[in-house]
Amino acid sequence: MEFRNELVKICEQYPKFKFNFHYRNWETDFLRFYQSQTNYNISKTSVSLSTTMYKGKKSYSFSLKNPTRAKLLEKIEEAKMIIDKLPEDPDFIDLEDDLTKTTEKEKVNNIEKVSLDKKIDILKKLANVVEPFDFKIYGTFICNYKTLYIINSNGVNKREINSPIFLEVKAVSNKNEVTVLETYGGENFNTFDVDRFTKDLVIKVEAATGEIVDVEPGEYEVVLAPRCIGEYFGYLESSMSAQSLDAKMSFFEDKLNKKVFPENITLTDDPEHPDLINFDYNHDGHIYKKLPIIEKGVFKNFMVDNYYGRKLKMKKNGAEGAGFVMETGNKTRDELISSIKRGLYISSLHYMNFINRKETSVTGLTRDGTFLIENGKLTKVVNNLRFTEKISDVINGIIDIENRSYTIPSSSNYGEFGIYSARMPHVKVKGFKISSSTRTV
Amino acid sequence: MKKLVYDIINKLDIPEVTYADVRFTNTDDQIIYFEKGRLRHFGSDYDSIDLGVRVLVNGCWGFAGTTILTNVSIENMIKKAISNAKVGSKFRKEPATFKKLKPIKDSYFFKPKEDPFLMDDKFKIDFHEKIAQKLVGSKKIVYSYVYTVLYRQYKVYANTEGTFVDSLVYDTMPMMYVLASEGKETMCRTWPGHMNGRRGGFEVVRNTKLEENADTIIEEAIKLLDAPRIEEERADIIIGGGHLALQLHESVGHATEADRIFGKEISYAGKTFIKPAMLGNFKYGSKIVNIYSDSKNEGGMGFHLVDDEGTPGATLDIVKNGVLVGQQTSQENAPLLGLEPSSNMMASFADDIPLIRMTNFCLAPGKGTLDELIKSTEHGYYIDFTKTWSIDDNRNNFQFTTEIGWKIENGELKYIVKEPTYYGITPEFWGACDAICGPEEWEFHGTFHCGKGEPGQSMHLSHGVAPARFKNIVCNVKA
Repeated sequence: MEFRNELVKICEQYPKFKFNFHYRNWETDFLRFYQSQTNYNISKTSVSLSTTMYKGKKSYSFSLKNPTRAKLLEKIEEAKMIIDKLPEDPDFIDLEDDLTKTTEKEKVNNIEKVSLDKKIDILKKLANVVEPFDFKIYGTFICNYKTLYIINSNGVNKREINSPIFLEVKAVSNKNEVTVLETYGGENFNTFDVDRFTKDLVIKVEAATGEIVDVEPGEYEVVLAPRCIGEYFGYLESSMSAQSLDAKMSFFEDKLNKKVFPENITLTDDPEHPDLINFDYNHDGHIYKKLPIIEKGVFKNFMVDNYYGRKLKMKKNGAEGAGFVMETGNKTRDELISSIKRGLYISSLHYMNFINRKETSVTGLTRDGTFLIENGKLTKVVNNLRFTEKISDVINGIIDIENRSYTIPSSSNYGEFGIYSARMPHVKVKGFKISSSTRTV
Repeated sequence: MKKLVYDIINKLDIPEVTYADVRFTNTDDQIIYFEKGRLRHFGSDYDSIDLGVRVLVNGCWGFAGTTILTNVSIENMIKKAISNAKVGSKFRKEPATFKKLKPIKDSYFFKPKEDPFLMDDKFKIDFHEKIAQKLVGSKKIVYSYVYTVLYRQYKVYANTEGTFVDSLVYDTMPMMYVLASEGKETMCRTWPGHMNGRRGGFEVVRNTKLEENADTIIEEAIKLLDAPRIEEERADIIIGGGHLALQLHESVGHATEADRIFGKEISYAGKTFIKPAMLGNFKYGSKIVNIYSDSKNEGGMGFHLVDDEGTPGATLDIVKNGVLVGQQTSQENAPLLGLEPSSNMMASFADDIPLIRMTNFCLAPGKGTLDELIKSTEHGYYIDFTKTWSIDDNRNNFQFTTEIGWKIENGELKYIVKEPTYYGITPEFWGACDAICGPEEWEFHGTFHCGKGEPGQSMHLSHGVAPARFKNIVCNVKA
């Protein structure tokens, strides 16, 4: 709190300049396990300040770890010497000036609430239930706690706290390495139901004990698990920003308010959803509220930040794609599967990458449990498969949607290991293109 | 900071700690980034300090790191590392072991030809602005950028075996990109491609010859808009050094990290198709394929005196005459495979735990120049500059797209093709390698962005390669 006030004072102290500060306190407690035992435990703490200093349309950025007023003033004096030498960015107009705040919510520090002992008790239980199937557990059990202050010379002075929990358990067969995945993510550990988690994991393990087969390349009817459709929307998010429009890489260029997908597709970006990891502000400090992205197949909004909003003369909205929620349909998961004579159930995707971002063409692989559907039932394990597809074709191919959705946690992994989430149902897709087999599980 | 590290390692030299190491890093970096001809970001991160302690207690690893160097914070870090190991050991069936190491006391200071951190900022900005302006000269170029990342890291490493080493290295990563469009379709070109990191200072930026190549990539990006795609189902392909470095990285480098064999990376990076029984007999490639790990070559970013658990730098064969003979290992994993530790345990910063990482991971040269290789190819494609990369959980099935390819007919480059895409199964693909260019074409390529581990780490590493030819490869995959 003290240093936050120092940053406000510094903004006032240098009226010829403008400042944008991101002051973070971040810690993590990170348990990694393999072969039903601990791999290692990591605890990390970090205090850092990212600063961008502006003089008119010129800017210079620097970072400090463990910042103090004295260190910051020293850096500002150095920056004053540099900034005049720099060329202008004519597209820079001003920093964020929307001062709208949320209530500064306090959040339980889950690093303290979910102790290492508690994590290990849960993992021992999970290891025990998969052992009779000759499986072992592998994965991570993470808690982060981050306080971010966003302060700028236009009077933005906002705080956001995140306290996410992320449990990812892969059960792997000792016999043949067939793998299945169960995850939990959120900020309220009271919502973690260990019995339900265990039951869901065991159902998947039971399905994974069948024969392993390969399938030929071609088009299949598939049921995509919630994390798969979440991942496709996650990749498509790179086309939903004003920045992608500016870079001429957006699939949605010239498609605003036009029908791009079938009527059953509705997607919102909802950072306040009660079942998701919540965020208050975008990186500028603009308030981050629920925003429709696709409504009944019609593309409704780009996600617009301060810089590109001003540059492209678009209304900024603070959305960042950190809380995607897909509207549910009217079928149960079992109904989706039972309606397929011969097809695939895909649990998870791996190493997806764009071939052409604007065209949404990608290649990637299935992972952590791919199953053959025969006569409406999961019958066999299938080797991991490669798909080469346009994401737009996958979404256009959605013919049925499950009537419930699931919280899907994911991580950004690098830097300060951000944990995010989405709310997605199972979907049934026709004409899903498998381009080759990996010949392994 | 040497004294700080020395004091901490002494505190950890206690009976309950089987082994411990301490690292301190002080990292400087600077980024110059022009987008569409304009300076979009110029930033420096100097004196970024990190400290980390790893301990082996009760057969379990514990780690703690911090950026806060107060006495209280350091004491808490030490206690936390030990308690993490102790609590973790309650869920550990097979104790981790650590073989005794010969202590090493040494220093290494790399001296760049042009220290970028002593150069005038205005000069560096002007240098890049000139290139940025060249990239926006054509109406068909709808987006462009040019950037350079400058980096140096000072590290102090000590362990309870008595090793104490400090080092200073400089790495540099320049890149430029253009996107061409005449409306709907877009095509891109980069220079020098995605394997653009090198050991060195500003001389790396100069050697990359960004300005000299700007017109070429603009012209090629525009030509790609109207270029045909590969139509054949299979073709012989010659892969240029920049992209071959990534092919080697993904399909051999990661596949031969021993932690993957034991499932330690299943939760994120994945597994490997390699099993312990394959060592010494598995045919990984054709007889001309020789691949080695070499942390003793000062020319690459993977050079070190000792790795981050005190194992001296080493050169070892991974694939010899096409047969899998080695693995990249750690002190803990090597004995499980009957191998010696290979000096591959590295962490990005001191507050990251060391992992098995590629260092300088190389394909040995063969014979002849690239021109000679093209001349000896009747029909095929010469491809380079990575656009898309993807490989499966077991590192067995890969698919790559490059930005550009050139059709070869009767030993001559005829015309360009867009987005050449090929796929393969790792050992079959390396088994189809029938020619590798000679030492005159062999050079280091590298990246700052090899991702692995959780929490994630981005590693600087290098690949020494020369262009090579692969026969009868599937290259008709389309979205």
